Amino acid sequence: MSNNKYKILVIEDEANIRSFMDTILESNGYQPLSASTCAEGKLMFSSHRPDLVILDLGLPDADGTEFIRFARQTSTAAIIVLSARSTEDDKIKALDLGANDYITKPFGTGELLARVRASLRSSRHSSQSGALPGGKFSVGEMDIDYDQRKVTINGIDIHLTQTEYNIVALLSEHAGKMMTYNTIIQEIWGAADTGSIKRLQVNMANIRKKLGSKPGKQKYIYNELGVGYRMISEDKPDE
Amino acid sequence: MRKYLYTIRSIVLTIVILAVSFLVGIYIHKIFISSTLAPLIFALACFLISYITLGYAYGIAASLISAVVVNFAFTYPYFELNFSIPENIFSAVVFLAVAIMTSTLTTKIKRHEKLKAESEAERMRANLLRAISHDLRTPLTSIYGSCSAIIDNYDIIRKEQQLKLLGEISEDAQWLIQMVENLLSVTRMGSDKVTLVKTPTVLEELVDAVLIKFEKRYPTQIVEVDIPDGFITIPMDVMLIEQVIINILENAVRHAQGMTQIKFTVELQDNTAIFTISDNGCGIEYEKLRNIFSGYLGKDTQNADRSKGNMNIGLSLCAAIINAHDGEIWVQNNHDGGASFSFSLMTEAIDSE
Repeated sequence: MSNNKYKILVIEDEANIRSFMDTILESNGYQPLSASTCAEGKLMFSSHRPDLVILDLGLPDADGTEFIRFARQTSTAAIIVLSARSTEDDKIKALDLGANDYITKPFGTGELLARVRASLRSSRHSSQSGALPGGKFSVGEMDIDYDQRKVTINGIDIHLTQTEYNIVALLSEHAGKMMTYNTIIQEIWGAADTGSIKRLQVNMANIRKKLGSKPGKQKYIYNELGVGYRMISEDKPDE
Repeated sequence: MRKYLYTIRSIVLTIVILAVSFLVGIYIHKIFISSTLAPLIFALACFLISYITLGYAYGIAASLISAVVVNFAFTYPYFELNFSIPENIFSAVVFLAVAIMTSTLTTKIKRHEKLKAESEAERMRANLLRAISHDLRTPLTSIYGSCSAIIDNYDIIRKEQQLKLLGEISEDAQWLIQMVENLLSVTRMGSDKVTLVKTPTVLEELVDAVLIKFEKRYPTQIVEVDIPDGFITIPMDVMLIEQVIINILENAVRHAQGMTQIKFTVELQDNTAIFTISDNGCGIEYEKLRNIFSGYLGKDTQNADRSKGNMNIGLSLCAAIINAHDGEIWVQNNHDGGASFSFSLMTEAIDSE
């Protein structure tokens, strides 16, 4: 059974949800594995080394975040968290622990597959280390030249301030990954203080305007209210 | 904090009422040169204090003070305490009785009022539950029916028919999701405003997130957007306000017959943001307009399962959410057709960072 399909481990206690995800993943060319408890998930993770894990946070035997801690000790495999709507704090905690993205239940096939693609891309990207010398990033009509610290759209220079460029560069290095406010603030300003989130939001408003975004028509950077920002990683916008 | 303030208020009231009674007593005593009126005035004071304050403490304290003051200042020998005369002890007992009885009555009345308010809230919740159960049954029936139709007749039904049924199942499921979101919002609101957690939210990001969500469900529906340019933050429970906007947008799609365009605008007036969502559909009938935000929760809904698109459930919830944010919500028919829903929220004071 050796093949070069991406292995995706689904850890979810609801059999019906597991079943439909298996079907979707398999029919889209992935090799699904599944586990119904955190313990089983850890076992499968260690023995199969999946490329991506889809993890339900509410597992019967342990909190899903425990799995993230476990997995991050040894692996950079992408982790997508499934979360219920009412638990923003859990989402943020999971992301800060190293999850790549999350999907809120209930979700459609298109959304799931888009996130899977984006996360696979982002983990591949970061394992090659984003800061390659002479590195370039390109998505849609936007290009980033890390050496010259330059962002262009359709070849036209976008004038960003230092901070704005740093934020864009950071998001692009983790394109496809949901970056929490905290993570971005840590990377850009170091320590966080009371005004940090607002400072980030103001910068982001300027960036998005400069990149030509209109409300509801984001091209490059998506915002997740109360959580953080994510840069798209493929030309077809993530759903 | 509130309790602390209340205690101070009660103590001040007690002192003021007793002081006024004392002054009035002295004045009357001078005019009529009679000692029979002062005890009556103090009895009235005890009654008032017991009535205004909560519990027994203030009334009893006031009655004891009254007994001492009347004994001291208004009964012979004047300005001297004398408890040897049985008459004086008797008047003290009467003061106590007035205070305790009034307090008992007041406490009973207040408890009764509280119970009444609680049962009112309970009744609204029960109505909501009943109506929602009705509303849930319709799409569930159709989902179950369509599924078993496909399973039982898998080889007989044509592919297009199967697709059509599946499409309807998907649509009904979407509707159920929206309904459950509304239910979640209701539980999130709890029973009082205190439970609402407001975080400063960037207007542009809010509108952006809502539109992306809306587009996912109604990819063909175009929403024209016009929001102020500046950096505006509004303290809110984001999920609830998102829910409000989605409900109103969805309401336009589902109920505004003949609607071709939806406009979503936000205007600033001083430090109030006014959100308006207007359509060019059929507008709203006058009778419905009046209690469009309260109709669902206010009365017993018998005809809830007439159609699954009972619009008032979402709108009642919108009103409750906006009220909990100390905002206002209103609706009007446009002069040139269609309806406009608006709501207002306070923006955060702008700091020039």
